[in-house]
Amino acid sequence: MELNIQYHVQLRPGDVGRYVLLPGDPGRCKLIASYFEDAKFIVQNREYVTYTGTLLGEKVSVTSTGIGCPSTAIAVEELCCVGADTFIRVGTSGGMQPNIKTGDVAVLTGSIRDEGTTPHYMPVEFPAVADLDVVLALREGAKNAGIPFHLGISQSKDSFYGEVEPDRMPVDKRLHERWKAWVAGGAICSEMEAASIFVLSSIYRKRAGGAMLMAKLDLGDGDHFDKDSGNNMEMFDINRVIKVAIEGLKILIVQDRKSR
Amino acid sequence: MPLKEFPEIMYHIHMKKGDVGRYVFLPGDPGRSEKIAQYFDDPHFVASNREYVTYTGTLLGEKVSVTSTGIGCPSTAIAVEELCMIGADTFIRVGTSGGMQPEIVPGELAIITAAIRDEGTTLHYMPPEFPAVADVEVVLALREAAEKLGNPHRLGISQSKDSFYGQHQPARMPVSDRLQERWKAWKMGGAICSEMEAASIFILSSIYRKRAGGIMLIGANQESKDPNVGHAESLDALLATAIAAVKILIVKDRAAQAA
Repeated sequence: MELNIQYHVQLRPGDVGRYVLLPGDPGRCKLIASYFEDAKFIVQNREYVTYTGTLLGEKVSVTSTGIGCPSTAIAVEELCCVGADTFIRVGTSGGMQPNIKTGDVAVLTGSIRDEGTTPHYMPVEFPAVADLDVVLALREGAKNAGIPFHLGISQSKDSFYGEVEPDRMPVDKRLHERWKAWVAGGAICSEMEAASIFVLSSIYRKRAGGAMLMAKLDLGDGDHFDKDSGNNMEMFDINRVIKVAIEGLKILIVQDRKSR
Repeated sequence: MPLKEFPEIMYHIHMKKGDVGRYVFLPGDPGRSEKIAQYFDDPHFVASNREYVTYTGTLLGEKVSVTSTGIGCPSTAIAVEELCMIGADTFIRVGTSGGMQPEIVPGELAIITAAIRDEGTTLHYMPPEFPAVADVEVVLALREAAEKLGNPHRLGISQSKDSFYGQHQPARMPVSDRLQERWKAWKMGGAICSEMEAASIFILSSIYRKRAGGIMLIGANQESKDPNVGHAESLDALLATAIAAVKILIVKDRAAQAA
């Protein structure tokens, strides 16, 4: 592979640190970069926006992936080519268990490969799992930030509206049955990118994890946002999960220096 | 989803509530149950039916058990189902396996973080996209135990397969191309060892909200130049590590209960 400018992310070796935060939304990169020291805008192409700065004096970056595993796999492929080796997905999701409240954070341990990208890499029986050190760092980060968190598995799906409005889909029965299975298996949140980050990181021997802000879903009535009075959507503040990711990243940086 | 509680004797494992502790070691080999029980305080034989042999004793004064699963996920799923019904909630798979990466030295311990669902049983429970993952607390206890005892170990993914000879002699199988292609994919994904039960223990534990982990002695490594050379293979290192891990869990669980 051409190691100079990467085709989609338009990055060269040196443009990013080894630690890269991966939000889905390109519009969120600037906000995340505001948590870095000396953040500067690097490049934008398609849905890929990158900023680089430092944390504890270590070079760190944020690159948006766009929605879904197809564009995310491209971002991870190309970021690996320019020297990244530790990925933290950060974004929003829907909570899949009744004890989850809006504003809680999911620290992902693994993902359901309910998507079409990773079978182009690996048979479906292979588990999409996060790196244990990243999981532990994010857990510690959530504790330090004082934000309620849950460890567990996410559903990485390809269809947003298949999740929130399954009834109007031609394959509604299948969608409902599989959703029921994921909930019974203990999945904690539904999002759209983690499985590809985890499977590619396993193949390329990189480290990956994810922290997701969760919204309480009305699990009884379709899978819409819960509109009960007890559901405080003001807690659905992306800064909560960014804090967890930044705290977790700092913990990793300190640990990596110690082990060096 | 609470499991139905059966007061009567379980159909296959021939035990009832009270016969086992919440912590259960799961070897494949029924002949190994007695050996593991020797690491308990006050072990006694509880039951034997088919491939299911159980001993119960104590560790740090806490009731613990060992139940063999037999080879493969079909019999293992039955063991886990019935053990859950009589009160078990923490499972440690303990057994032998083959290495899958060239740098792995036989004699090392593989602490399983997740398993490839290369088997037919868990599909009766859950679509294949769902990951078979170990419980983080159990993984950490196993790692801490291995570090404490100074036993060489690594963390990673196991292949839970249904065919022993499909792994060891793929070339003679009618589906040889598929077996070899998939083996190559698992290696590229970083799988560290090949065994035959973990995926079912992990998937059932996720569904029933139980905790599970696994530690495997790597007995041979077909991916290294010399598959059988390395540390002296020690079942004792494996069993001592598994026992030490459960003691760590017992202490942590007591502290959490007191808090």
